[in-house]
Amino acid sequence: MSLLDEVVEVPRRTMTLFFLIDTSGSMAGNKIGAVNDAVVNVLPILNDISASNPDAEIKVAALEFSSGCSWLYSEPKLASDFIWQDVEAEGLTSLGEACEELASKLSKSGYMKSASGSFAPAIILLSDGGPTDDFYGGLGKLKANNWFKHAIKVAIAIGDDADLEVLKDFTGNMEAVFSVHNIDALKKIIRVVAVTSSQIGSKSSSAGDTTKQQQVIDEVKQSVEDIDGAEAASDASVDSSSYDDDWD
Amino acid sequence: MRHYASTCQGESHKATAKPCQDSSMSGQKDGVLVAVVCDGHGGDRYFRSDRGSRLCCEVTAKAVREFARKAPDDLFAGASLTQRGPLSTLDPADKLRRQDIMLRQLFASIIARWSEAILADAQASPLSDDERSQLKPEWQEAFEQGLDLEKVYGTTLMAYVQTRSYWLAFHIGDGKLVAYDGKEWSEPVPWDDRCFLNKTTSICDVDAIDKVRYCYCGDGSFPVAVFLGSDGIDDSFGPMDNLIDFYRQVAKAIVMEGPIKTRNTLANLLPQLSKRGSQDDMSVAYVYDEERLPALIPAIIRQQIERQEAAIASLRSTIEAEQAKAESLSEATSQRDTIERDYALKKAETLQLKMEAEEQRLANLQAELQSLPAPSQSEP
Repeated sequence: MSLLDEVVEVPRRTMTLFFLIDTSGSMAGNKIGAVNDAVVNVLPILNDISASNPDAEIKVAALEFSSGCSWLYSEPKLASDFIWQDVEAEGLTSLGEACEELASKLSKSGYMKSASGSFAPAIILLSDGGPTDDFYGGLGKLKANNWFKHAIKVAIAIGDDADLEVLKDFTGNMEAVFSVHNIDALKKIIRVVAVTSSQIGSKSSSAGDTTKQQQVIDEVKQSVEDIDGAEAASDASVDSSSYDDDWD
Repeated sequence: MRHYASTCQGESHKATAKPCQDSSMSGQKDGVLVAVVCDGHGGDRYFRSDRGSRLCCEVTAKAVREFARKAPDDLFAGASLTQRGPLSTLDPADKLRRQDIMLRQLFASIIARWSEAILADAQASPLSDDERSQLKPEWQEAFEQGLDLEKVYGTTLMAYVQTRSYWLAFHIGDGKLVAYDGKEWSEPVPWDDRCFLNKTTSICDVDAIDKVRYCYCGDGSFPVAVFLGSDGIDDSFGPMDNLIDFYRQVAKAIVMEGPIKTRNTLANLLPQLSKRGSQDDMSVAYVYDEERLPALIPAIIRQQIERQEAAIASLRSTIEAEQAKAESLSEATSQRDTIERDYALKKAETLQLKMEAEEQRLANLQAELQSLPAPSQSEP
């Protein structure tokens, strides 16, 4: 008789990476094209991180929001299994509804297993505008959620019209908001944020007293310095007016 | 009653040359059985939590033995199982009974003794060069002034105590304490929702006394077995029923393979489990009634069989649902529907393999049950 294997399973720990993607009408054209392109290209990298990580496997879930919101798939999938379906842009910006939907899935009856054996999720929000629904009502529900409280949260503000205050309120910290002003920067920042969040979020040991969220912010900030057309929204030393939005 | 405790350094601690920050102990003396597990915190700020957890084990064992010796004989007499969450979460209308007041004195005494012990340790062992090289200057300064030592030595605490007339358990922080009463497996100490993922309450918290949760029972019923595991254990097994099944295996091994062999097996297993599971330090302490446990082994195997059958039924139902979904999308033309159909087929295949493995496990358990010697017939 063995104490393991024959009867008792030792499951691999799991970290889920959530993409919340604004697919409102203003994202149409090159912006949404860049998002589709960037996520498709980052999935194999996430799979490599998951495969080489003894600590945890990485699952991916994606929620698109415009006039309403919907998940790309009905459950998170391993990065290796996740086939990206190009999203299209049309309609309003129901970020409040998306927050509420996310809160419902950040639970054991939703997408999360028991807290034992799980890592906090990483949540990446991409938006180019301001919410057109009751954002703060939805955010209130999300903020009461234990998984959300402990999650790594990063927002990508696409262009000058993105509502930075809203993104700050979502992440809880302006430091976790990064602005981009052109297609190339958008693609690069999605990759950097997704990879960094996954690497740090799926590790069992953290760097001392620094939270995983702060570690992600610090690393992304460093990377952003090398991306033309991207900046940390909290960085007062960067004059965002030096970047002209260029989405053609 | 028999008892055992084992601790091992976690895989991630080996990789970063961090000491094992867990401690555990068990012992029986003068009719008082004690098992304690402490898990020292992992952040850089808690740089002596390995010592903190060891000292916490020591002072707890000493304090509960004194408590058992000095407490009035009738303190818990007749009390059915009483469970108390952290005081800070109790309704103000809840009146504390005599037992609660005495137990709060015990917890206060443990915290005070631990504070004295860590102060003595800090004074006897100044910062080493190695420690200095890794600490922020403000932390060094605080340590040398004797400030915030609780943080430096911070740890969780979980304990089980049994005397001839009552038993009690208390807990501050994460990890899981699981009891088997001969029928059900449960967590007798209420959970604290503030312990979530890598956040935990701690004996180093300013209001630690109000965060201790506990239970006691003096009606003459005692658990058959109690298992205390640090969070490295439950993080390796994930869902609670999986953790409980591991403890069922341990209980069976104790009876079927003998206590000594089981201790050795467990001591060898914990490092492997850390490597495959949480990577964290691992501690398990357990106590069991060696007279009652053997007769319950068939019932424990039957519980495992029931769990296995339920898992197989659930898998079968999911497989059928996925196959039906794929069937409904057999004429799919859109990209989304095609992907959904392929996912459903792939998931059904994966679960089919898993179900076959579960069926094999079920067969093993059924064979194990069959192989048990028939219960001896009582004389007419």
